[in-house]
Amino acid sequence: MLKKFISWLLLVCIIPLSGCGDQRILESLGFIQTVSYDILPDGKLSISFSIPQADPETTANREVLSAVAASSKEATMKVSRETGMMVVSGQLRNVLFGQSMAEHGLHGHLDTLFRDPSISSQVKVSVVEGNAGELLIEDYKQHPRTGRYIDMLLEKEALGQTIPKVTLFIFARDYFDEGTDPVAPILKKHADNYITTNGIALFKDDRYVTKIEPQNALVFAFLKGSFREGQISLELADTGGDKEIVMFSSLISSRKVKVVHGTEGIEKVTYHVKVTGSVLEYIGDARLSNDRERHELEQRISKELTKKANAMISLMKQHQLDNIGIGKYVRNSVGYKQWKQMNWREELEKLPVECSFEVKIKDYGKFR
Amino acid sequence: MGIKQKLQSIFLVNDEQSDTPPTLPDNQQEANLTGGEPVTLQHILDQFDDSADFIHKTYQSEHLDVLYFSHLVNEDRLERDVLPPLLNAESPVDILSEQSKYVRVTNAKKCVEGILSGMAAIFCQEQAYLIDVIFPVSRTVAESETESIIVGPHEAFTEQAYTNLSLIRKRVQSSHLKVIQLSVGEVTKTSVYILYVEDIANEKYIKEVINRIKNIEIDAVHDTNMLIQCIDDDPYSIFAQFLTTERPDTIASKLVSGRIVGIMDGSPTAFSAPVNFFEFFSSSDDYYQRWSIGTATLFLRFAALIITVTLTALYVAVTSFHYEMVPQNLLLTLTESRSKVPFPPIIEALLMEMTIELLREAGARLPTKIGQTIGIVGGIVIGQAAVQAGLTSNILIISVASSAIASFVIPNYVMSAAFRLFRFGLIIMAGLWGNLGLAMGLAYIVIHLSGLTSLGSSYLTPVAPFEPYDWKDVFLRLPFSKLVKRPTQVKANNKVKLKMKR
Repeated sequence: MLKKFISWLLLVCIIPLSGCGDQRILESLGFIQTVSYDILPDGKLSISFSIPQADPETTANREVLSAVAASSKEATMKVSRETGMMVVSGQLRNVLFGQSMAEHGLHGHLDTLFRDPSISSQVKVSVVEGNAGELLIEDYKQHPRTGRYIDMLLEKEALGQTIPKVTLFIFARDYFDEGTDPVAPILKKHADNYITTNGIALFKDDRYVTKIEPQNALVFAFLKGSFREGQISLELADTGGDKEIVMFSSLISSRKVKVVHGTEGIEKVTYHVKVTGSVLEYIGDARLSNDRERHELEQRISKELTKKANAMISLMKQHQLDNIGIGKYVRNSVGYKQWKQMNWREELEKLPVECSFEVKIKDYGKFR
Repeated sequence: MGIKQKLQSIFLVNDEQSDTPPTLPDNQQEANLTGGEPVTLQHILDQFDDSADFIHKTYQSEHLDVLYFSHLVNEDRLERDVLPPLLNAESPVDILSEQSKYVRVTNAKKCVEGILSGMAAIFCQEQAYLIDVIFPVSRTVAESETESIIVGPHEAFTEQAYTNLSLIRKRVQSSHLKVIQLSVGEVTKTSVYILYVEDIANEKYIKEVINRIKNIEIDAVHDTNMLIQCIDDDPYSIFAQFLTTERPDTIASKLVSGRIVGIMDGSPTAFSAPVNFFEFFSSSDDYYQRWSIGTATLFLRFAALIITVTLTALYVAVTSFHYEMVPQNLLLTLTESRSKVPFPPIIEALLMEMTIELLREAGARLPTKIGQTIGIVGGIVIGQAAVQAGLTSNILIISVASSAIASFVIPNYVMSAAFRLFRFGLIIMAGLWGNLGLAMGLAYIVIHLSGLTSLGSSYLTPVAPFEPYDWKDVFLRLPFSKLVKRPTQVKANNKVKLKMKR
C-alpha cells in the first residue's frame, strides 16, 4: 500500500517534468504562408517568406523576409535572425517557383517540402513567370494580403478548370509515377499591381519545358481527366468569312482512353471526350432553337476542339512530354517487362494519338 | 524509518486500533439492546431518559401507561380513537390482545425501535403493545427541479418514503411489484426499500443489492447518493455506478425494464441498478417526444459530452503546440486575441474554467434572488471585462462558455459533475503534451470506463459486450414498435416487452 502510494507520488511528480517540451505558443510564432524560390546566377537560392502579421501593435498585415542561402532550411534559419517570432512552416499554403528555378529543375528543393512532417501535402505548387520573389514581395493595394490573394486566386481558378489544382501530393505523385509528367499553374505579375494565372507549365520530370497558353487551358483539362465545372469560349473561324463565337458553360466532360494493339505492339491511342454544356453567349448566324442548325454547331465545336487537342498533343510529343498521362494507359495495357524495355519518351514521339470530341448542347439559354 | 511510519499513520488506517472492541458509551447501550431483553416499562423509560420530547402518560386507575413521541404520532387520533375504548373498557388487556391493530411486543429492542419509528407503546399489566398512529411530517409532492422536463409528468419524489412508495405503486399497479424493507445506519436506522418486479427482474441482482445493503456498517446514511457510494462496485471511481433520479416515471420505467430500484426514507432520490454509462445520457423526455426528435436529442447530448470534455483542452493543445491544425483565418484571429494575454494558454484556460466553476458553485449555493445577481456580475466579468483587460482571449471565452453550457445538457447532474472535474485533468494534460496528452487522457477514461462494473455487469454494456440490438434504445430512440426486447444488461427473466403487431 505504501509502496503503491509512493510510486503514485513519484509518477505525479515526474509526469509534469517531461511535459511542456517543444512548445509552439501561438502568439510567438511567425507562420510562413507562402514561400518563393528563385535561383541566382551563382547557383544559390534566393528565398522569400511571407508571414501574416496578426499582432495589433503593428500596422503591416504581413512580414516578408528574404534570404540567400544554399537550401530552404538554411534560409529559414537566416531569416529567423531578422524577426522576433519563431519562424515555422506548419501553415504553409503556397510554394512559388521562379521560372529560372523551374527550368533548372526542382527535385532537390522539393525534398524539404516532402520531408518536413509539419508541411501539408495539400500545399499548392505554382510556377511564376519571371521572378517569384518579386511577385511575392509586392503589395497589391486593391487585393487582400499577397499570400492570401495568391491562394484565393489559385483556388478559384482551379474550380473553373482554367488551371489544374496542383498540390505537393499531386506534383510528387506525377513526378514519381511512370508514364506521366507533372504540371503546375503559371502565375504572372503585371505592372498594374495585379497577378494573373497565365497558363499551365509542362514539366519533363522536374524541369519546366514549355507552357500551354491560358486560352487552351480547358482543352488540356478535357484531355487530363473528367470534370463537372468550367466554361470555354471558342472562336469558330471556318464558317466562311463571318466570325462565329460561342461561349460554352456548365461543362460536364468525361473522357475515355483506349489503347489499340496491332500486330506490332501498340498501334495507336484514342481519346474520346464527351462534353455537354449550355451556351450562354453566341455570336453567329445559326438559330440554336432549330435542331438541325444546333447539331451543326455541335459538329463545328467538336471539330474546333479536336483541332486544338491534336495541336496540343503534337506539342507535347515534340518535346517528348507526357503531361496528360498517356503512358499510364499504355503501361496498364502491356506487361511489366515490355514496359520496362520500352523507352517511353521516344515511343511517345512516334505513337499516333487520335482525339475525338462529342459535343452536346443541352441548353441554349432563354433567348430562342 | 521515522518518516515512513509517520506517512503510514497519515495515509493508512491503523489496523490494530480498529480491531479492538469499541469502548464508547453509545455502543454499550447498543450491546444491551441486542440482548433480547424482556420488555419492562422501567427499561423503556431508562432508554428514553433525558428526552424532552418523549411523552409518558399514566392512567392510574386503568393501570395503563402510554409512551410515544408527540411529534411523530397523530395525537388527535390517539386521544380520540385509540385511548377512549381502552379507558372505558372493563379489561383493557382483552381489547389489546383481541384487536390486530395492537401488536404485542416482548423484545425491548423492538419496542424501542417501534417508538422511534412513530408508534405508540401501551403498557398494561406488564405487557407491551404497539399501535401504529404515525403522523408523517413531509412536504407535499412538488415539481421536479433538478430533472425538469417539458413534456410528461412533472411530479418528483419527496423525502418521505411512504409518499414515494405510493407514487411508484400508483404507476406500477401490479401485485408483482415487490418491496423489501431493510435498515441502514447503526445509529440512525434509516429504512431502505428495495423494489423490483417479480418475474422480470433477475434474482441474482436482487440478492446482490440486498446483500450489499445488509453489509453496510456505518453510523448514519443521510441520502440515497450517500447510500449508493457505500454499495458501489468501485468506490474510487469518479463515475456513479447507480443511476439516481427524483422522477417517479423514470423509476417506473426502470422497474418494468427489469432493473432494481431502491428508495430511502429521508431522501428524495431513488436509485436504479444495474446501470450502464449511456443510460445517464437519456432522459424520460426522449420517450415522450416523437421518436425522431428523441433520437436527435440523444445525438445532441453525446455531442455535448464530446464538447464539454475536449473543447477547452483542444484550445490549449492547439494554442500551445499544434498551430498546424487551425485554418488560417481562424489562426489569425486566435493569434490576435492571444497576443495581449500575459499567461501561457494552460494558465489562461485553467483561470477561466475556475471562474466558471466558481460562478456555478456560488449560484448553486445562494438563494435564487441573490443567484441572479451572481449571474449578471459573472456574465459581465467573464464576458467583457476579462477580455478587455487582456486576461484571456475571447476565443477561449467562447470555448469555456460552450463547454460549460454543454456540460449542463447532460441530464444527470452527478455524471455532468464528473465530466466537469475530469475536464481539468484533460486541460492540464493538453497543456503539458498537447494532443498527445489529450489522447492519453481520453484513452485513460475509456480504459477506466471499460473496467467499471455496475452490480457486476459491464458499465459500457451495449458497446462492450457488443449488443447491437440495444443500440436502438441507447444511441437512437427508434419507434416503440421496434423496441421489442428489454435491455440485455438486466438479464431479465421475461425478455419480450412488446407483443403488439403493428
